[in-house]
Amino acid sequence: MPKSINLHPFTVLALTAAVVTMTTAAGLWWLSCAVITVCVLVAGWTGHLRRLAVLSAAILIPTFASLLLIHGLVSQQASGLIAVAGPFRVTEGGLEAATVLGLRTAVLVVAGLLCTLLISKHQLVAAIDLSPAPPQVGYLLAATLFLLPHMADKQRTIGQAQALRQAGTGRGLSGWFQRVRLRAVPLVLASLQDAHDRSSHLSARGFPAAGSHTRLRTVADSVTQQRVRWISLLCAVVGPTAILAPFWGSA
Amino acid sequence: MIENQKNSRTGNTVLLDLKIERFRYSGAELDSLQHIEVNVAPGSLTVIVGESGSGKSTLGEVFAGILPRQGADQCLGTINLAGQRIEYTGLECQRINVAGWAKHVGLLPQEAGHYLSRIRERVAEELVFSLENEGVPRDEMCQRITALSTQLGLDHLLERDPAKLSGGQERLVALASLAISEPSIMVLDEPLAGLDAEATAAVTEMITRLRAGGTAMVVLSRTAKPWAGKVDALRTLANGQLSKASSDDLVQHSVFEPTQRRATPIEANVLLEFGDVQLVHPGAERPVLDGLDLQVRAGECVGLAGANGSGKTTVLKAAAGLLRPTAGSLAVSATTGMLLQNSSDQLFERTVLREVSFGLPKKGAQRSRVPEVLSQLGLEAFAETHPYELPASVRRLVALATVLVREPRTLLLDEPTEALDSAGLARLQEVIDSVLIRGGAVLLSTHDKEFMNRTTHWVHLMSENPEPTAPDS
Amino acid sequence: MSPNLLLPEETSSQVLRRRILATAGTLLLIGTYLVLVITQPTGIAEGLGQGVALVTFAAYLAAAVMLLVAVLPDLPVSTLTLIPVALALNIILGQFVGSVMVPLYLDSIGTVLVGFLAGRRAGAATGVLSTLIWSLFAPTVLPFAAGAALVGFLAGTAARFGALRRPYLAPVAGVVAGVLVGVVSAPVAAFVFGGTSGVGTGAVVAAFRSMGDSLLSAVTKQALISDPGDKAIVFLIAALLIYALPKRLSGSFDFIRRYRVLGQRGTK
Repeated sequence: MPKSINLHPFTVLALTAAVVTMTTAAGLWWLSCAVITVCVLVAGWTGHLRRLAVLSAAILIPTFASLLLIHGLVSQQASGLIAVAGPFRVTEGGLEAATVLGLRTAVLVVAGLLCTLLISKHQLVAAIDLSPAPPQVGYLLAATLFLLPHMADKQRTIGQAQALRQAGTGRGLSGWFQRVRLRAVPLVLASLQDAHDRSSHLSARGFPAAGSHTRLRTVADSVTQQRVRWISLLCAVVGPTAILAPFWGSA
Repeated sequence: MIENQKNSRTGNTVLLDLKIERFRYSGAELDSLQHIEVNVAPGSLTVIVGESGSGKSTLGEVFAGILPRQGADQCLGTINLAGQRIEYTGLECQRINVAGWAKHVGLLPQEAGHYLSRIRERVAEELVFSLENEGVPRDEMCQRITALSTQLGLDHLLERDPAKLSGGQERLVALASLAISEPSIMVLDEPLAGLDAEATAAVTEMITRLRAGGTAMVVLSRTAKPWAGKVDALRTLANGQLSKASSDDLVQHSVFEPTQRRATPIEANVLLEFGDVQLVHPGAERPVLDGLDLQVRAGECVGLAGANGSGKTTVLKAAAGLLRPTAGSLAVSATTGMLLQNSSDQLFERTVLREVSFGLPKKGAQRSRVPEVLSQLGLEAFAETHPYELPASVRRLVALATVLVREPRTLLLDEPTEALDSAGLARLQEVIDSVLIRGGAVLLSTHDKEFMNRTTHWVHLMSENPEPTAPDS
Repeated sequence: MSPNLLLPEETSSQVLRRRILATAGTLLLIGTYLVLVITQPTGIAEGLGQGVALVTFAAYLAAAVMLLVAVLPDLPVSTLTLIPVALALNIILGQFVGSVMVPLYLDSIGTVLVGFLAGRRAGAATGVLSTLIWSLFAPTVLPFAAGAALVGFLAGTAARFGALRRPYLAPVAGVVAGVLVGVVSAPVAAFVFGGTSGVGTGAVVAAFRSMGDSLLSAVTKQALISDPGDKAIVFLIAALLIYALPKRLSGSFDFIRRYRVLGQRGTK
């Protein structure tokens, strides 16, 4: 049973941003590995480990493969040659570059996904609504998160409906195109019509708010959390600068 | 001019005075409304009766200031509301503040779910969506929720997820969300359509309570029956024109004669046979139903009855071959065709004619049946219309046409009466009769008891779904 | 107190601020791109590489957010309800189409659809938002927000100048959009992620690298191979979807009426 974290959503976001930028700036393989390990531990503790593993693997495996192809297999570096065959050149430097770049992406992906898993969607929307952001942002986020499963369902229903009509059984390119049309057209028609029907009632309910707006839902916050947020944001901006400044002279 | 003299509550004041010379949608060739004059007195009940496609919903949106859309629709007329006068002069209309208007006139759309924002986790949050946009302080919102919930009896719904409400509950929540802004007039578009007896009672009860609180109601409906005896002003709307009607001739006018069950046909071939069938939705843990025994013979019309979630749709889908039984035997010995509950999912072509003839070989026998099927369902006039521009009732018939053109021997209908008006119902009845006469069979599910009694030979009562037991883990 | 039933005429006080924001966002995007292309920073894996990655990431993201903030308050509610649908379509249709066989992304159908229906501002906003929300599930797409904004913007521009009046014009506009988007997005792929995120595209980049190209030019060439074709198909599919809409629905969009986007189709 996944535990929920009782932190303000922005605190989680700010912490993630600070961790990702500073780790990226440092560019040390052991630091990246440590950050990923900590993320995995937090995920395990809160019960999100499986989803985190599945989601990040789906992104990271192709990325690593692609980086190995680009940097590992056709390296342009002169030294540290390991093997060469025709156009392929495998060098130590190339493999190292692929690993470093892969770890850089991995930190972003794992920390980012963990952040998503830890934040409650409804709390995030409420936090955005209560912040000075335009009132449209909260609605758009919430509506999209709601619509995704809804439209995926609709997509399945349409598939069934077309199967009932024995439509979309063609083969080859025209059959493929026909199937796309049979799936896409009713989905787009129905959802655009639905969006159109809703919009007038949404504006009748005063959306988007012209002046200040309030929320019935409360988002727990504390002075400590506010301080943590400011410090994190500061770190996200100043940290990389401080870490990287010594290199600029040498470049 | 004043309609409600007999009603003592109304006094002399008029809340809203609407005169529409004509209204035409952008790009349309005909006026949707003509010569409309309505005035609404405080606390009164006005019922406007009209068939599907008569312009009811259009009129409702004009009431709510949603139509005409600036720079698109053509409208001539004047509206007096809350001491302000709005002039519509053709295309050049003033920019309407729909939200400000909604504080005087609230509209409950035909599809009540469209009124809900669909982005809140709990019903309580949904109720105050419009107050949140106004910036009402949180404490005041809590007070308004408590007060409204006591007045309307909503306590049991406040903590529910708005996305998981039944049709009736959805309408209750939408009504309450309208009421929380305390509009002086509420316009209700088909507030009772498609509800079973229990939900109808609940919605009617809420409307009564709101009226007791002094809200004037304008009901747009296919039938005046549920409002008999309470109406202050009754009008009929036909082809976009409004006329007065006395309450007697509408209430007594019924499309169908008193009905009786038909005789069961003599022993005939079994077209569809379920033997001890268990059905499980893909991905679900518990079976939807178990141990189903059911035989449908040629010439027979069988009804499926049971509460929501008892698996009626699932049985039909299994018969159509969309779902394989996980246990037991299912024998389908004739071609089947199924009309889905939400049949708009099936439509994708640009015209009705193309839609109905889709996928049929150019010179086949079925293709030559297309005109016949269209005329059987009264759709000839719409052959070149986009299915989405048709009224809901006619669109349902288009979906039925796409099924019929393939001449299925067994017809499977999921809630076929939903969205159908009386003309559509008559067509549906004819279709069922013609299938039975041809030696086919019909298996249908419906919550419309009258239709069930009139149409079916016998009814299979779905066994109650076992209460979902608490998960073990 | 009685709320006013009519809206006041539009004031121009805030319009200026939005213009400035939009211009600043565009300039930041162009500036970052030019700096990256001209200086061609090397040494991806050393200290400098990380700085370039972070600056590119931040600049592209900031530009996208500025454009969003500039555009959002202008959008009518009918467009706002369209945007969530567009994003869901991006994901669902992208998955369905992509899962079949073609090695393209096709993940911008919804964005292009909004651009066609509601104009370039709405299209750009949809592109940014869809990227921001999608990044909750795939953080790596975040810096591509500016590219997505460009897709929506170009779709709206194309529709405005008549790309939907003839079915064969839409894919042509798509090719042009694809070239621009590919060129603009390439630095993100090269400098932030050091390559691409797919195996197929990675192989193409590797092939160019083996011929001695720099990383940026290899990634740009790869983008010029995949993007125009991808966008041509997306523009074509979106155009066909628009043609399938009933006129009452398509005609309800101010943009479609004002610029006669559908030409003869809209009026017949």
